[in-house]
Amino acid sequence: MAKFVVNGKPVEVTADPNMPLLWVLREKLGLTGTKFGCGIAQCLACTVHIEGQPVPSCQIPVKDVEGVEITTIEGVGEETLHPVQEAWIEGNVPQCGYCQSGIIMAVIALLEHNSEPSDAEIDSAIGNICRCGTYPYVRKAIHAVAELKKTTAV
Amino acid sequence: MNFMGTTRRNFLTVSASVGSSIVFNLALPSLAHSAGTNEKLAHEIASWIVIHNDNSVTVRIPQMELGQGISTALTQVIAEEINLELSLTDWEFYDPLTNYKRKNVYVHTYTGGSFGMKMLFSPMRIAGAQIKEMLMLAAARHWDTDTRGLVIKNHQVINTATDASVGFGELSAIASSIPIPDPSKVKTTTQNNWRYIGKPIPRSDAHDKSTGKAIYGIDLKLPGMKYAAVKQCPVFGGSLVSFNSTAIKSFQGVQKVVAIKAGPSGYTVPSFFYEVIDWQMDDAVAVVADSWWEAQQALDALPIVWDEGANKDVSSTQIEKKISNELMQQGEIIRQEGDVDSALLKSEKTIKSRYYYPFLEHAALEPMNCTALIDNGRVEAWAATQYGDEALRITAYAAGVAPYNAKFNLTLAGGGFGRRLHSDYVSQAVQIAKEMEGVPVKLIWSREESMQRSFYAPVMTTDFTGGLDADGNITAWKSHVCQGRSVYQPYAMSRMVYPVPNVKIEYSTVKTPPPYAWMRGVGHTQALWMYHGFVSELAELAGIDSLTFQLQLLDEKKVSKTAPEYSNLGVASSYEDSVSRVKKFRERLLHVVEKINEGSDLNNLGSFGYAVFDMSYAPGLGSSIIAIAIEIEMSSNHSALKIKNVMASVDCGLAVNPQLVESQIVGGIVFGLSNALYGEITLENGKVQQSNFHDYPILRLKDTPSIEVYIAPSEATLPNGIGEGAVPVVIAALVDAIHTAGGPRIRKLPILKNDISLFT
Repeated sequence: MAKFVVNGKPVEVTADPNMPLLWVLREKLGLTGTKFGCGIAQCLACTVHIEGQPVPSCQIPVKDVEGVEITTIEGVGEETLHPVQEAWIEGNVPQCGYCQSGIIMAVIALLEHNSEPSDAEIDSAIGNICRCGTYPYVRKAIHAVAELKKTTAV
Repeated sequence: MNFMGTTRRNFLTVSASVGSSIVFNLALPSLAHSAGTNEKLAHEIASWIVIHNDNSVTVRIPQMELGQGISTALTQVIAEEINLELSLTDWEFYDPLTNYKRKNVYVHTYTGGSFGMKMLFSPMRIAGAQIKEMLMLAAARHWDTDTRGLVIKNHQVINTATDASVGFGELSAIASSIPIPDPSKVKTTTQNNWRYIGKPIPRSDAHDKSTGKAIYGIDLKLPGMKYAAVKQCPVFGGSLVSFNSTAIKSFQGVQKVVAIKAGPSGYTVPSFFYEVIDWQMDDAVAVVADSWWEAQQALDALPIVWDEGANKDVSSTQIEKKISNELMQQGEIIRQEGDVDSALLKSEKTIKSRYYYPFLEHAALEPMNCTALIDNGRVEAWAATQYGDEALRITAYAAGVAPYNAKFNLTLAGGGFGRRLHSDYVSQAVQIAKEMEGVPVKLIWSREESMQRSFYAPVMTTDFTGGLDADGNITAWKSHVCQGRSVYQPYAMSRMVYPVPNVKIEYSTVKTPPPYAWMRGVGHTQALWMYHGFVSELAELAGIDSLTFQLQLLDEKKVSKTAPEYSNLGVASSYEDSVSRVKKFRERLLHVVEKINEGSDLNNLGSFGYAVFDMSYAPGLGSSIIAIAIEIEMSSNHSALKIKNVMASVDCGLAVNPQLVESQIVGGIVFGLSNALYGEITLENGKVQQSNFHDYPILRLKDTPSIEVYIAPSEATLPNGIGEGAVPVVIAALVDAIHTAGGPRIRKLPILKNDISLFT
């Protein structure tokens, strides 16, 4: 039995302690917004926040998240959309969309500690694979969120 | 998926769906629902739309939504004709069983070849016009009047004479019973009044895909569902001897081990490519468990004995040798004009080169998967597939039932790129479900399985010989292309646009073990950069830069009036076709040259490469004309490369949704750059050596250049395809740029295997 917090709610899961968090989220908790793409932390479609940090959930055995706080794509913008999600919709960023949950989670984490990232900082923070090639739209949308934050903060 | 940013009906019951032969009272996610909803609440009109009692409309989309946005664009088309409000409109996938029963009422359900919009634009406009007339007639009947003075507004029919109005919902029962009007008699809308067609309408799926709510095949949930992992014989054509399931007895959650038989995984393709493709899958073993991870763990530990068969020693080196030998033989002559051999003898200078392209895999990000349930002699399956009709046939075939007792439901796809035209994973899931009677089973392939047991874009090698006269004009062009296991695709070489006087093109194939797949860009991906590169070699021989040489060649005066017509896929080429292509190609190319110069940093100018093409298979059969200019920078010793800017100029005819056109061109450019830089599948001991993204890399954000797309204004009244065209063109342009930058002449892809790395 593993106990942890997902999207602000405490959960208890019966699973093999070595089962990766990805599969626990998807199959045991029904949170299918987090995607399986490679299983070896290469594509980063499975990115979630563990204690606020972006982490590929395919690499984390469920025994290692005992007592920690996890946020998935379902946990951002539950009431109102997160600004990053708004920018994604506004910018028509997704194509097939399969990688976008992971990218959005990585972007939210990036913007939380760097509200105005440079292109180089975006390059090093967003290593996710998008097979459809939405990268130019991703970059543009990140800048749009940063710009919006700047103008609304004033 | 709808245009309002929320999913209006999150859960629907599949029971009592139109044409359903299997009844499950299961709550299914909205995207898994198939044609029709509860009959009490909704009426289907002319197969294409469903009207709900709240006046809202659901449009049926006969294509797979792979990310190209076809669901949004086709909704725009039919909404235009009926005058729908997008805020009251959503869409669902067509039902393959309905299409089977109604004899292809959905016209074109195959999602490939960049043909979706091109094939469905007119049929869906006509369908919309028919539906509009049915609604008018229904309102006339409702008021016991005629249709004069009736207009459609806000999902109501309004009588302009009386100001009376009646909603679609109220009319839907009557409308559904009205005979469908003669398609030749209905009147479609006129272009100057369009509200939606030609407009950058936002994607209907952007919200659900940005919030994790979009349901892909892999996300499907059914009560009591079990999970399966699968392993096919690692050598193509091998077979299963035995497995020892007692070895995994202690593994948690394991339900069953199932042997899956080799067999057809698809056998027909529609329309243009007349041959029957024998798409085979090999024997496999699946483990069914309570969770997919447990199933995969147990499968990895399961001792399996394979008979690896005749291909167990095949390697990529051997295949190259085999192709080399084949190229020494005479191939089928697919295009011949003039006398190439005597022209070569008379040439001032001649040059020979060989170009090579390896196998490629699509690497769609969502691994292959399918969910299936067999109960009481009936079968139902759910998956993302680019050809639902075929998936239905395979579902029925694998279950051993008649198509009427089968149901196939389409789900969103996490990419396809041609891979999901094959229904091998559907056949496997159904075969597993057969052993799990009454229990739904979701089969998911690991990434390794997806990469190593895919269907592959074929290897291709081409030998070129060219001659120049004393003035540097091309006098002779000879090429012999040889490709691995594939369908017949002579077009890739023969549709070369350049008008040269003496041409001979030969075509050969060799049998290679990996099964064949169409892949975004198809044969043009392999061929264009090769002959484009050889043109550049001839330019160098003539002492001219490759762009000037290309522009000199793109001259309609050079098109021979007497050149014999050559046949391609049964369609003859012609003088007019050649002249028209040459003119349009030059126009696009000149435009992109102008644009990239405008956009470049003059203080830090890189090197440029250029290419232009139209994905032509035969005259009148191709897609948009796309010209690409690419700006790169190379390190001083030419061992490192940075791609800075890409500019594309596109003539796609009528751009139904310019935003989606732009996204597809951008996506095609990134896809093409991945192919060119990294793409390579190799074989050793009969097995695919690459297994995951660490050894089959995909371009990432940091290496993606800035990309600009210019859509040329067009007088055209019909749209052209845009999904694939950028892929071959960007590869050709990049290879051109590397040479212009002083880098090596790339004759073998991928580029990064030519002692070149990327820098940022």
